[in-house]
Amino acid sequence: MIKYCIYVACIFLLVWSCRKGTQDVPAGPQPYKMEQPPDYFPQPVYDMSQNPLTVQGVALGRRLFYDPRLSRDSTISCGFCHQQFAAFAHFDHPLSHGIQNRNGIRSVPVLFNLIWEKDLMWDGGVNNLEIQPLTPITDPNEMGEDLARLLARLNADAKYRGMFRDAFGEGEINSQKLFRALTQFMATMNSFHTKYDSVKQKIPGVQFTAEEANGYQIFQQKCASCHKEPMFTDGSFRNNGLAYNPSLHDAGRMRITNNTSDYLKFKVPSLRNILKSPPYMHDGRFYDIFNVFEHYSTGIEQTPTLDPLLKNGIPLTDFEKRELYFFLNTLTDPGFINSKNLSEILITN
Amino acid sequence: MKPQYLLVACFLLCIACKKETQEQGTLQLTFNNTVNGVPLSLNTTHYTNAAGENFTITTFKYYISNVSMIRMDNSEMAVPAAYYLVDEANAASKTIQLPAPAGEYRGIIFYLGVDSVHNVSGAQTGALDPVNGMFWSWNSGYIMAKLEGISPVSTAPNNQLTFHIGGFKVPWSAVQQVKLMSPISVTVGQGHKPQITVAADAYTWFSQPNLIRFQTISTIHVPGEDAWKISMNYRNMFRITNVTDL
Repeated sequence: MIKYCIYVACIFLLVWSCRKGTQDVPAGPQPYKMEQPPDYFPQPVYDMSQNPLTVQGVALGRRLFYDPRLSRDSTISCGFCHQQFAAFAHFDHPLSHGIQNRNGIRSVPVLFNLIWEKDLMWDGGVNNLEIQPLTPITDPNEMGEDLARLLARLNADAKYRGMFRDAFGEGEINSQKLFRALTQFMATMNSFHTKYDSVKQKIPGVQFTAEEANGYQIFQQKCASCHKEPMFTDGSFRNNGLAYNPSLHDAGRMRITNNTSDYLKFKVPSLRNILKSPPYMHDGRFYDIFNVFEHYSTGIEQTPTLDPLLKNGIPLTDFEKRELYFFLNTLTDPGFINSKNLSEILITN
Repeated sequence: MKPQYLLVACFLLCIACKKETQEQGTLQLTFNNTVNGVPLSLNTTHYTNAAGENFTITTFKYYISNVSMIRMDNSEMAVPAAYYLVDEANAASKTIQLPAPAGEYRGIIFYLGVDSVHNVSGAQTGALDPVNGMFWSWNSGYIMAKLEGISPVSTAPNNQLTFHIGGFKVPWSAVQQVKLMSPISVTVGQGHKPQITVAADAYTWFSQPNLIRFQTISTIHVPGEDAWKISMNYRNMFRITNVTDL
């Protein structure tokens, strides 16, 4: 019997000593806890499971976003054109800027709620958030850099090697890691703390003023079919009756689809943070939101691909414009444009 | 229950749980790029297309993906998904070691190009890394095959020929399936090193069924009907020229 007990004790010890150690496992990247969007938001389009957000990955993406060394001559970062205080559009700039004083042909789009976007860019030419950064980085009129050169520069940088290792493990820095890090940061640029959201969530004590409530009604009657709640865009491509600008020579969505019925069509932009992100339209032609109201009210240009909803324009009285302005004000998200987690970081090494 | 039955039951259980280990082997696939039957040599050699126009080739590369083996009973079996970029300028890229289950095969099937799923799935690595210059940034999608060169009849700047053939959406998908039957069967498995040599003839891009004149078309760098027409030509560019079954 004693022998039996010893055997049992030995086996127990053996099993105990072979148990998996939990203390000395090296700490990998920690999961990043993303704030849950309101329940009236749809399911995200971007598949987060292929690129799980980590604290290290988001931090790396943020550094990359604000690092001018991503451009050919180290002058322009993503954040150069995408300014937080303008909801990550380029405040006061109608057309996008690039290295060596070059200009693009379209305005800098706002950056938020990107994981809900199906097609990116004004013409919807980019089909996945991860590969979106490839366009501005390599476009000669924007950051103008060659991808292979950029990767060589990142691999030669000890600080980046360390940060990429912390976020994605050992191995060379490749374009997938670069794009996924930027995507992780972009996935945290979310805007759903506006007054509109508070009213919608029936937060106690928050309600629309009489003007805002009126403006909301006008919005629902006249704007909401394209600027669909709660994202304030339906993600579609439409010709909204802007006069063609021959010097920009921009065919819009047709450039992507080769389909003449897509001539002069551009993506319907979100109206969230709209009053923070002038100038307006794909070519930044309107500096004031009242110019935009004016355009829809009396400025629609009749062309074959004009959106049928705009055939007769959207007549607006001065009173309605004013009330609409007050409603659009409730779509500004101060928490987002002032968020310390998204702000520019100074890169000194 | 008698002990014997228990034993039999145990035995059956063990058999049922036996791990399936399909023996794996390798098939070596070598691509020899040619122009009208003559080995391709970049930059220097002058060729004549089907329309009688003179040209040289400076770049020639294409994707091979989604390979399946054709068994002796004509059934098809997909080998693990992999993507290969064959580049005339990179000798190593022209030989592919294809992992395949052991067995006897009479042919192979593959895509020239990258399947639609991988055109919309975000950042990829390896052969599909955009750093290889085979990805359109402004209009997401892979360039399935690329031929660049010079022809005196080209009206493009510097008489350039630019054929970046891509597009994964119907009706103008440039992804083409290619089926090649081997004149003799090949056996994959332990101790076997079968090799198939395939000629890829760039001449076909501009000949059949859609005759391309460089004078009229010297540049294609968007998806669409012209790209699709070339893809209908290049689907015929492969021929098995040599098979070693040892």
